[in-house]
Amino acid sequence: MKTILAVDDSATMREMVAFVLESAGYRVIEAEDGAQGLDRAAATACDLVITDQNMPNMDGLTLVRNLRQMGDYKSVPILLLTTESSDSMKQQGRAAGATGWLVKPFDPATLLEVVQKVLR
Amino acid sequence: MKTMNKKADLPDARDAAQAADLLVTVAETLNARLAVTAEELARSQAMLREASDELMTAFRGAADRLVAAQREDRGEEASRAAEYGPVLDHLYRAVQHLQSHDLVNQLIDAQKLRVDKMREKLGEALTLATPPVSEPGSAEQWIERSRAMLDCIVAGIRQIDEDTRAPRQDKKHAGSVDLF
Repeated sequence: MKTILAVDDSATMREMVAFVLESAGYRVIEAEDGAQGLDRAAATACDLVITDQNMPNMDGLTLVRNLRQMGDYKSVPILLLTTESSDSMKQQGRAAGATGWLVKPFDPATLLEVVQKVLR
Repeated sequence: MKTMNKKADLPDARDAAQAADLLVTVAETLNARLAVTAEELARSQAMLREASDELMTAFRGAADRLVAAQREDRGEEASRAAEYGPVLDHLYRAVQHLQSHDLVNQLIDAQKLRVDKMREKLGEALTLATPPVSEPGSAEQWIERSRAMLDCIVAGIRQIDEDTRAPRQDKKHAGSVDLF
């Protein structure tokens, strides 16, 4: 069973993401900001990270940069799931090492398609 | 505040004192309106939050049951899809709308923060108008006071724009995907 780390400061959003992924057979662990996400990622080997951008303590792009510096997460897919939709933010995401950018509110079927694709 | 220009006898000083009075009146009125807005936002948010909590509880109950049933079911994938698929479709639709609730909540939070910060700055500006001017006959003192109040208000507006992180929900891009 693949393990996915869902990072978002909104408990509702984490719950939505977790439900959709668990209903498709994935195991989900949650973190409420980038700093906690980094700790969780270090403690558990995750196959995919899905993170929000705007969060207290550590934002999504900083989390991506930090994860890419960890040996185990050099090639693990990382998706940004955020309300931010500007091209400049997406470019920053790409430069930081993110695998993809999804804009909220997400469509569950689309999220699952993207997850399957990046985990292949 | 209304009597602060009484001692300003020279014509220039009188005008400047009236202008300062006017600024105080505008700041006080705006602050009072913002207080009402803050209260309405808080009430709207409380109602929305209560409704969202109820919806989440109902959603959680259905979702947990479904995921548990799926895990226990050892049947063929096709028959499982036929059995759980229609329920999942309904729950997936709920997921999309519950996200909107959450985003609206965040938006109200950001607006409330904006209003509170602006009220704080207006309050600060009004305290600048509290002590009596040392030379009421000096137009310069009144002008200086008005300028200090305006600077405080403008700084507040700038700070609000820099600090507030409202979720930027863009309908055109909602749900879009970019893979790099």
